[in-house]
Amino acid sequence: MPRIYDLCARVQNGFRARLQSIAVPDTKMNLAVCNILYREGFVSAVARGNHMAPDATYTPTTTDNIATRRLWLTLKYKDNRPALNSLSVVSKPSKKVTFTVNQMKDLAAGRRAKFIKPLAPGEIAILNTNRGVLELEEALKQNVGGEIIARAS
Amino acid sequence: MNARDSLKFTMIAKKHKNLETTLSSQYSCCQGSMQSISRAFSKLSVASYSKTLNAAVPCALIRSYATTSNRAPRHRLLDESNAADLSKVDPILDFSDNKPANLDQSKTFPFNRPPEVVLNTVTDNVDTPLDRLEQMRLLKKALVVKRVVNMNGKGKQPSMYALVVVGNGNGLAGYGEGKDEEASRAVRKATNRAIKNMRYFERYDERTLAMDVSHKFHATTIHLRSRPPGFGNRSNHYIHEICRCVGIHDLSGKVMGSRTPMNVIKATFEALQHQKFPEEIAQLRGKKLADVQHTYYGAQ
Repeated sequence: MPRIYDLCARVQNGFRARLQSIAVPDTKMNLAVCNILYREGFVSAVARGNHMAPDATYTPTTTDNIATRRLWLTLKYKDNRPALNSLSVVSKPSKKVTFTVNQMKDLAAGRRAKFIKPLAPGEIAILNTNRGVLELEEALKQNVGGEIIARAS
Repeated sequence: MNARDSLKFTMIAKKHKNLETTLSSQYSCCQGSMQSISRAFSKLSVASYSKTLNAAVPCALIRSYATTSNRAPRHRLLDESNAADLSKVDPILDFSDNKPANLDQSKTFPFNRPPEVVLNTVTDNVDTPLDRLEQMRLLKKALVVKRVVNMNGKGKQPSMYALVVVGNGNGLAGYGEGKDEEASRAVRKATNRAIKNMRYFERYDERTLAMDVSHKFHATTIHLRSRPPGFGNRSNHYIHEICRCVGIHDLSGKVMGSRTPMNVIKATFEALQHQKFPEEIAQLRGKKLADVQHTYYGAQ
């Protein structure tokens, strides 16, 4: 199954090429991250579909069509400027980054924590917690720490 | 003859050395004088002055006045027919009450000077909405002045290149380049172009940037970081000068890669131009923006 960097690369490239919509592999992790991007307003729609187009009507995922299943993201632009400039991984298999709540608070406050650059205004961090894939602010509200998988700005 | 005529009278006088004050002599002296006028002053005695007079004869002065007599014309072309007619000028009514504050003439006399032909002039007519006073009050700094050479078939043609940064310290700033034979003229050209190229740069709190900025221009990478009030301008000296003109007081900056002055200045201006603002981001993403510093910490 593709790692998070696959989604990051596809989304970034899609924005740079000024595409209207892109198709990414349909996995639980990808869906969770795409939902966060949608809730934060980086992407205008997230839909399931096949490799040609998003589903017009509801199509259940079966063993027959699983190979063609995709997640379609509709990208957002204004004045030829993309809503998302960079979606980069933070925690890598070679160096995992797991934060406690206090370290997350430092990041949110504009201070660096554990060699991770602080969040600029308008930047978000996506982390994988035991309460699911959450955005940094949501995780702070629920008082859970976790592994920072990506940051988007 | 009435008193009016007497006032208009221009005194008739003659300079003679040995002159006795007699009416007859007076008559004989005033040759060709206007008969009517002389008759009015027949009772007056025009005293004569002479070095050789006796002590018994009273010494007196001959005053010479402007005269319209034919004997001593003022100008060879001026005679009685040509003379101005002063009969229409009234001494009281023809002099207005509103006196000027000083006697300076409003119009200078016209002069015929050959037009100066100056080759290679630099005109200071800059096409801006700013007027001359505002242009004078702008902060101007010639950051780069160097000698450049153009190789021709004829040989080396040296000229001076100037890069001038201009700003009002309150958001308006621009830069201009100029080349000329003389350095001063090149700087002037550059200043005029800079004033023409001025644009408004948005700042946060009118003292710093809204967000950290990283920008690459040719081989120069500029990192500009927003800093709290009172921090000061701690960056490359060219960035420092540009920020002074723009009005950015708190900044931390670093130039990576090439530090060529020309490119550093151009890179800084581009970086300031390509800033992203939190308001724009919030609008694009459909989020509500709250300035924590202003709302909660009471910053002005």
